[in-house]
Amino acid sequence: MKLLPFDYAIRNLGRSPKRLLLVIGGSALVCTLVLGSVAFSRGMETAMTASGLATNAFVVGSGSEESVERSEIPPSTGSILAASVDGLAMLAGQPAVSSEIHTAMPVSLVDAVSAEDAPPVLVRGFEPMAFAVHPQVRLREGRWPARGSDEVAAGPEALAKVPGSALGSHVAIAGVPFEIVGVFEAPGTVMHGEFWMRLDRLAQLTQRTTYSCVIAALGTAEIGDVDAFTSSRLDLESIAMTEHAYFAQLAEFFAPIRLLVLVTAILISSGGVLGGVNAMYAAFASRVREVGTLQALGFSRFAIAASLIVESTVACVSGSLVACVIGLALLDGVAIRFSMGSFGLAVDPSSLLAALLAGVLLGLLGAIPAIVRCLTLPIPSALRS
Amino acid sequence: MNDGNAFIRCSKLTKVYHKGDQEIVPLRDLDLEIERGSFVSLMGPSGSGKTTLLNLIAGIDSVTSGSLWIGDNNLAAMSRNQLAAWRAHEVGIIFQSYNLVPVLTAYENVELPLLLHSMTRRERAQRVEAALATVLLSDRADHFPRQLSGGQEQRVAIARAIVAEPPLLLADEPTGDLDRESATMVLDLLSELNRVHGRTIVMVTHDPAAAHRAQIALHLDKGQLLRATSAGGAH
Repeated sequence: MKLLPFDYAIRNLGRSPKRLLLVIGGSALVCTLVLGSVAFSRGMETAMTASGLATNAFVVGSGSEESVERSEIPPSTGSILAASVDGLAMLAGQPAVSSEIHTAMPVSLVDAVSAEDAPPVLVRGFEPMAFAVHPQVRLREGRWPARGSDEVAAGPEALAKVPGSALGSHVAIAGVPFEIVGVFEAPGTVMHGEFWMRLDRLAQLTQRTTYSCVIAALGTAEIGDVDAFTSSRLDLESIAMTEHAYFAQLAEFFAPIRLLVLVTAILISSGGVLGGVNAMYAAFASRVREVGTLQALGFSRFAIAASLIVESTVACVSGSLVACVIGLALLDGVAIRFSMGSFGLAVDPSSLLAALLAGVLLGLLGAIPAIVRCLTLPIPSALRS
Repeated sequence: MNDGNAFIRCSKLTKVYHKGDQEIVPLRDLDLEIERGSFVSLMGPSGSGKTTLLNLIAGIDSVTSGSLWIGDNNLAAMSRNQLAAWRAHEVGIIFQSYNLVPVLTAYENVELPLLLHSMTRRERAQRVEAALATVLLSDRADHFPRQLSGGQEQRVAIARAIVAEPPLLLADEPTGDLDRESATMVLDLLSELNRVHGRTIVMVTHDPAAAHRAQIALHLDKGQLLRATSAGGAH
């Protein structure tokens, strides 16, 4: 099969710079939306993966495997677990077992005008042993809240959710003012977007007599040991899994949202697709006689179609590259905040590849109507056009 | 015409088009033979079927019924792909509007048909340079069609038609868009290609002066051969 020279396809792109810009712009729009939606999905997935360690046991109330915020377990669960399971990691002679409360609450600046519209932010009640099971967390500024105090520490994304908040400022949580005494970071994890206060204070604030979960660093113990513990202590009404498994389930739980984001991006971008296809169609339709001439010279329809596809694909992939640049420059790491934390858009090789593939697909699809128009005409009709 | 040396042979050649419910028959039961190495002009009023006949001989239109042989090839029995391959090797076509590819230089336009042949770049270059020299446009090789006059464009188109050295050249009103001086140059070229290089040439024309350059003028009317006259073109 003898093909037309690659140069022919490339030079044709320069015939109408305005039309080329339209195609590249349409393609860039579509590919940016695809890239953004994949970056959203990947960012959420990455945050979930980084948030949960496979070396931690995660004990929650039965039936709350998909949402720790709904979980309730007796406050004694942690101490019983620590005494019952051998081989847990130790810190300062104590088993690394952290009892915690996780709850989403409206948080606003104390002097905010409309506290009712305050966004819900995940607030975590912790004890010092939390640092043994969450090694990703590092104090950046200030100090950790003191026991029984009206103090909180905040992740950077949590501060961003409450405009004007900073180290030393006061935020209202459930109507009670708390001073921000520390800023911590846990990059790439959901904790980066949380407020942390001491466990006893949060229990008091929320009037809870139960905790949300117990997290234990396994050490030489295995998750099966913790599972055996929860299975034998039916009175605790809890189940065990690795923290990693919990977040994997959570990621699965959010899969429909990720799909929805992708579908929405595709629907929105369909306008760009139609615009690009239309511009490409117009570009090719004006060359019907030329295509007829090439056929008359002996080039097969396949060779001509291949050249038109190359031309269309090069234009659309140029749009993809623009989208990749936009993604890397403007979207990468942009924080998405939601009630249970936050994550950053991940413009990684997967999302860049998705943008490139979207460009290739757009190029292929965009060329089809024009190819049909150009190559189904009888050659004499094409030569007369 | 010489039966013993017939290069193009039509027998009961019919072409029917459908335009909506209307049936159009530009050629009806045409019998015709054209000998190898001849220079023939097709003349006739609009709608007489001369361009349709040229398209059928070029293999760019399909025969409705009858037979059409070019050398040893029965065009009526060939598939679209076979016809494309046949055109690439056996026919050079010259269009009234030149039909050069605007994004390619004169050199690249002439080179196009050679891309369908198995040749090295060097072999192609030799052929293209020779073809451009034949049409006296070696110095315009790097020019794009928009940088050439109409006459020069048509000469590039002729170079493109002859570069693969096909035995058959077909020209559809090759001087229709040209001034007298350019037309004369083009016709001189065609005569030379026929006389010196032995190409068989079939040319559609309305211009009696152009037709006079051929050896034989075939007059068509209403899809049938009216008469064949000796046109005066010299061997």
